[in-house]
Amino acid sequence: MKSKFLFPYWCRYLGWALVIAHVPMSIIGRANGMINPLDNPLANQALFTGEHLFFICTTLVMAVGLFIVAFSREKVEDEQIWQVRLDSLRWAIFVNYLILLASLIFIYDIAHILEINLWVPLFFFIIRFRWVMFRLNHSLSKEG
Amino acid sequence: MKNNIRVERAIKNITQGELAEQVNVSRQTINTIESNKYVPSTVLALKIARVFGKPLEEVFILEEGD
Repeated sequence: MKSKFLFPYWCRYLGWALVIAHVPMSIIGRANGMINPLDNPLANQALFTGEHLFFICTTLVMAVGLFIVAFSREKVEDEQIWQVRLDSLRWAIFVNYLILLASLIFIYDIAHILEINLWVPLFFFIIRFRWVMFRLNHSLSKEG
Repeated sequence: MKNNIRVERAIKNITQGELAEQVNVSRQTINTIESNKYVPSTVLALKIARVFGKPLEEVFILEEGD
C-alpha cells in the first residue's frame, strides 16, 4: 500500500529524541532565568533574543518532535493501519476542540490556550494510535 | 460478513504471517479479518482470494443483515 505524506520509520526515534531533548533544555534555560514568552506578556517582541531562542529550543522542538512521531510510518503499512490512523486523528480533533471550546469559554489566557492547542491533538493522536496498535499486537500474541 | 480464511489457510497449510506477506499487509490485519473484527477493502479481499485460487464468494460470505 502506498502511503503518502508519512515520514520514514526511523523518524519516529528522531521525534522521540526531540521530545526528550526539550526537557533538559527547558530545565537548563529556566535555571538560567529564561522565561517562556507565553508566560511573559511583557516579553521583548524582537526575533532571536535569548527568550525567543529559548522558546524555539523548547516548545517548538517538542511540537516538531511530536509531529514527527505522529506522522512516521509503521514498519508494515496497510489499509487497517490507515484506518486506525484516521480514526485516531478524528478522536484527536474531537478532544482538541472540546478542550479548546471549554478553555475559550472559561479561560481568558489566550497564550496558554495556544500552547495547549500546540500539543494536545498530536499527543492524544499518538496515545490513541499506539494504544490501538498495542491492542492489535496483543490479540496477535494471544493467538500465538 | 464472515470468511473462510482460517479454513482455506489450513487447506493450503500456510500461517497468518505467510498469507500476510503474500498480500503485503501486516499479520495483525490478517488476524483481525479472520476474527471478523475488520472488513478488508475490495482490493485486499480479491488479493486474498487469489492466493487461495478461489472465487471471492467462496472466501468471503455475506451474512443476514449485511
